[in-house]
Amino acid sequence: MAIKMEDNRPVILKATGIGKKYIIRHKKKYPIDGTRRDKMKYRLSPQIKEDFWALKDINFEVREGERVAIIGRNGAGKSTLLKLISRITEPTEGRITYYGKVAAMLEVGTGFNIELTGRENVYLNGAILGLSREEIDARFDDIVEFSEVGRFIDTPVKRYSSGMLVRLAFSVASTLDPDILIIDEVLSVGDMRFREKCLKRMGEIANKGKTILCVSHIMNVVRGLCDRAIVLEDGKMIYDGDVEEAIKIYNGIHKEAKHGHYDYDIWNRPQGYYCDRLVIKSLDLLETEDCIYAWNEPIKFKFHVEALREESNVSLRVTFRRDGGGPVSTVFFEPFIDFKEGSSADIYVTVNSHNLAPGDYKAALTLSKGAPYDLHDNIDSIDPDGFLFTVMNVGSENEINGMRDDSARLWSESWGHSRIVDASVEAVIK
Amino acid sequence: MASQIKTEIEANGKNLQYWKDIWRYRALAIELAKRDITVRYKQTIIGLGWSIINPIINMLIMSFIFGTVAHLSSDGDAPYTVMVYAGTIPWTLFSRNILLASGSFLSSVGIMKKVYFPRIILPVSTSISTLIDSAISFFVYLLILLISFFSSGFVPSIRILLVPLFSMLPIALGFFIGLFLAPLNIKHRDLNQAIPFLITIGQYVTPVAYSFTVAVNAVPEKIRFIYELNPVAGVVNAFRWCIISTNEFHWPSFISALVFIAVFVPLGIKRFRKGERTFIDLV
Repeated sequence: MAIKMEDNRPVILKATGIGKKYIIRHKKKYPIDGTRRDKMKYRLSPQIKEDFWALKDINFEVREGERVAIIGRNGAGKSTLLKLISRITEPTEGRITYYGKVAAMLEVGTGFNIELTGRENVYLNGAILGLSREEIDARFDDIVEFSEVGRFIDTPVKRYSSGMLVRLAFSVASTLDPDILIIDEVLSVGDMRFREKCLKRMGEIANKGKTILCVSHIMNVVRGLCDRAIVLEDGKMIYDGDVEEAIKIYNGIHKEAKHGHYDYDIWNRPQGYYCDRLVIKSLDLLETEDCIYAWNEPIKFKFHVEALREESNVSLRVTFRRDGGGPVSTVFFEPFIDFKEGSSADIYVTVNSHNLAPGDYKAALTLSKGAPYDLHDNIDSIDPDGFLFTVMNVGSENEINGMRDDSARLWSESWGHSRIVDASVEAVIK
Repeated sequence: MASQIKTEIEANGKNLQYWKDIWRYRALAIELAKRDITVRYKQTIIGLGWSIINPIINMLIMSFIFGTVAHLSSDGDAPYTVMVYAGTIPWTLFSRNILLASGSFLSSVGIMKKVYFPRIILPVSTSISTLIDSAISFFVYLLILLISFFSSGFVPSIRILLVPLFSMLPIALGFFIGLFLAPLNIKHRDLNQAIPFLITIGQYVTPVAYSFTVAVNAVPEKIRFIYELNPVAGVVNAFRWCIISTNEFHWPSFISALVFIAVFVPLGIKRFRKGERTFIDLV
């Protein structure tokens, strides 16, 4: 652990042995081959409770003015840790002590009400973030100026563009002046230019000697903002110290985790799914070493489905999201399979990556009955993070229609997340 | 540093900080109450007018059914409408408070998942909004009293000056019982369905649309004491006593109301505090 020994800044936050336990409820395996009585018993049987430690034995100290990044892959416990520090939920064991005010920017725009005007929302949102009326009065002009909303400040925010809304929300959050500032992925908002402006504002806050705790998947943000990093893996702290070293470790586990195979047996399902009809058991990415795809390379995977009941006309949709961002696109497969009770199947899917811009993606699988775009009868779903993969940004020299594809190397974030490949241009010279 | 407040977070920790935080977040309670009221009347033509129309229509219907059709007698010299309206104000305060306080965890999950603040701010803010609604409703009542003075010569009691004090009782009763019920609403949503239903029943069990004296005389003597111990009847009676000079103060129901409040203040706060610690893990 590379904590500078000569550091004599006072400790502002201290976590001692914190752990957070969740209780997962699920049912045991459906007795497919059992008698009718077994099946009846199954339906009446209570759910099994299982303890799950999202965090365990976390100890660290943060000194005043330190800017600490918390990194780790999805489900490693980063958000849980921030939730504990920002008091959204309580630890199961251990103790957190801090001095002064903590403010969290876990998601900008919390409590925004679309019916209210920009001005009313600034006051409401400010109050939610713990500011008094006088404090908001004092920074109101600054907020409006930073947000670039200008004369629309007295218009109901439902008339705003999404960009305006995000800018206004970020502006309120960014004027917070706590002793410890918690930031979680807020930087993935807005357009490129505004994002840079936000980063700059963050930098200013950081340079003022503010203590910052930050969670981000964007390593460049971590590099730019933080001077220390904590790496979490499976709820445990595996590294605390230098940022570059931490990023190396993170990249290591990230790749390893991406390697191949997913078990969905105890995966959290979205609300409303009970795993009582068809169950997606596992998934394997095929023909890939590291789950990194060159542009135009097919993404091939197979997944295993078990049927607890008879289901006919089962269709599939796969939704691709940016890791840490919104949905990019969805592919639909019309009903293609019927299941008998107790049967199972391996389903092979191939998706060409040429419509996906370079970047990190997560894909969600949903099985439904009937048309795949009908949202009413979904049977099982692994959403939002079914599996992770990356479409490569550098070094790909793919060809499409005989043209070398330079865009894959130079792709800019501001060009969006999907790539249109069927287009033509014609010049008529006169 | 030394001047900064120290915060300790641990499982089931007791902290005085919580109560100080409530004061720090008072702006939030007011902003939320303001939001409730503003949003409710956004894009309506008569806006706040709905706060006035609702209780008037309610009063007219009840007066018609119970006074005109059923020929129940009113209290003393008070016109039936005056008596009914004096019942609906405390009843509305009570029922809105119990309903909103008990549903406060579920109604704002979105905010609570993102930001910390003492959760009790939520029911407090809804309570403030019910108080504002009732204040408007009370001004309408003053107009009604004025009209009855000219039309039937009814003079309200000087005790009307005690109305602000006696408005606090139905709020306290509803609020703290609501706090007590709120955690039950998290895991099992049945209560969410049951409470509105019980409130509808309660409105007829409680002397809102009719006079307490009429009702007490109609109930068989053997079980009359049960009826007289209805705490909500206590706060309604006390409120009417402020308006109608011939009414006598009904102590049994009033004391019952005070006992309920005294019991549910600590109980409600305790249950609510326990529920707010981890409810976010359960929703």
